[in-house]
Amino acid sequence: MDLQYWHWLVFGMILIIAELFIPSFTIFWFGLGALAVGGLIGLFPALSLTMQLLLWAIFSALLTTFWFLVMKPRMLDKTRAGMSREALLGETGQVISTPEGDRRGVVRFSKPLLGSDEWSFICDEPVQLGDRVQIRDVSGNTLVVAPKNNK
Amino acid sequence: MFSPGLTVVIFLLLLVIITISMGVRIVPQGFKFVVQRLGKYHSTLAPGLNIIIPYMDTVAYKVTTKDIVMDIPSQEVITRDNAVIITNAVAYINIVSPEKAVYGVEDYRMAIQTLVQTSLRSIVGEMDLDDALSSRDRIKARLKETISDDISDWGIMLKTVEIQDINPSDTMQHAMEEQAAAERARRATVTRAEGDKSAAILQADGRLEASRRDAEAKVVLAEADREAIVKVAEATKGGELPLVFLLGQRYVDAMRKMAENNNSKVIVLPADLPAAVRGIMGTLGK
Repeated sequence: MDLQYWHWLVFGMILIIAELFIPSFTIFWFGLGALAVGGLIGLFPALSLTMQLLLWAIFSALLTTFWFLVMKPRMLDKTRAGMSREALLGETGQVISTPEGDRRGVVRFSKPLLGSDEWSFICDEPVQLGDRVQIRDVSGNTLVVAPKNNK
Repeated sequence: MFSPGLTVVIFLLLLVIITISMGVRIVPQGFKFVVQRLGKYHSTLAPGLNIIIPYMDTVAYKVTTKDIVMDIPSQEVITRDNAVIITNAVAYINIVSPEKAVYGVEDYRMAIQTLVQTSLRSIVGEMDLDDALSSRDRIKARLKETISDDISDWGIMLKTVEIQDINPSDTMQHAMEEQAAAERARRATVTRAEGDKSAAILQADGRLEASRRDAEAKVVLAEADREAIVKVAEATKGGELPLVFLLGQRYVDAMRKMAENNNSKVIVLPADLPAAVRGIMGTLGK
């Protein structure tokens, strides 16, 4: 039995539709690959089955690689919902109590962060009362901050 | 039946399919995947489309980054004054660093639950029963303070912890109710006794006042008698006639009272009233 060009087109569409039900983002590329093979057979009907399958594999792999090269830079997170760390990092607050000795300082933020607008903090550099500090890391319920340079 | 070329291509196709499906990882929002490269921690995948190196990288843990609500089961706690109370709590934790949470502790839920339980016990154990029952906020603050440092190694943040129930045990509750009832009864008795006391004092005061006034009245009456005698004496110019007059008047009054009495309707009046009075006087005068 010879595979016709439309066999490939239908097969490709089935794969793309299957992506809706099995969201893995891999089948989609094989569907596109199948569509491409279908197109090629339309142009060169003499292609052997072996050649068709090989082309399908190559197309699918190339499409996947290409899309990830293009997609990845655009996949930056738009939301930080449910991501405590990412939501905290980079936020700026004001020192309302300086760290002395073993005691931690307290920094206040203009809007509440993760349900609290006051946090205890650790800072490697000396800070003054009223300094603006930026969150660098989170350690338990304590923030690791650094003074914000542009005052 | 297949030519060698076709067989190779079919297997190549399978390899491509498997490889690509192994390399693509979609992380749903609210989760982070911890990736190990050849058994060692390599990276943490953020929500969205991610590519890992097939065969080398594996997703070892799938960790939720949503707040986790943890029910801290009820436990009996003994306060400083040896009363037994039953407390339970609810804690909200959030995994800040998934890699620390999965590698730092065997079972973070279990670990935090136990930690909250023991901390709650030690905090309440330092308080008196009445303090423990009335200062939830203080317990909450201390609990958060105590636990947050312990869990920092695990990349977990304790967002809040709330004391759900803090109740005395059944026997304790019974005793407290009895104590309250006894206290009320005591107050009622005291109030009643105080009322009785004031009533007695007021009554005695009343009697005292009444006696004082009675005495005054007698004096006034005597004064009036004296004045009457003097006036009568003046009118009759001395002699025993004024006395006779007064006595006679009282004698007649007494007779009238006797007449008003229901019992005796037969009244004998002496015909010679002055003589009768003089007779009484005669016995008195001698």
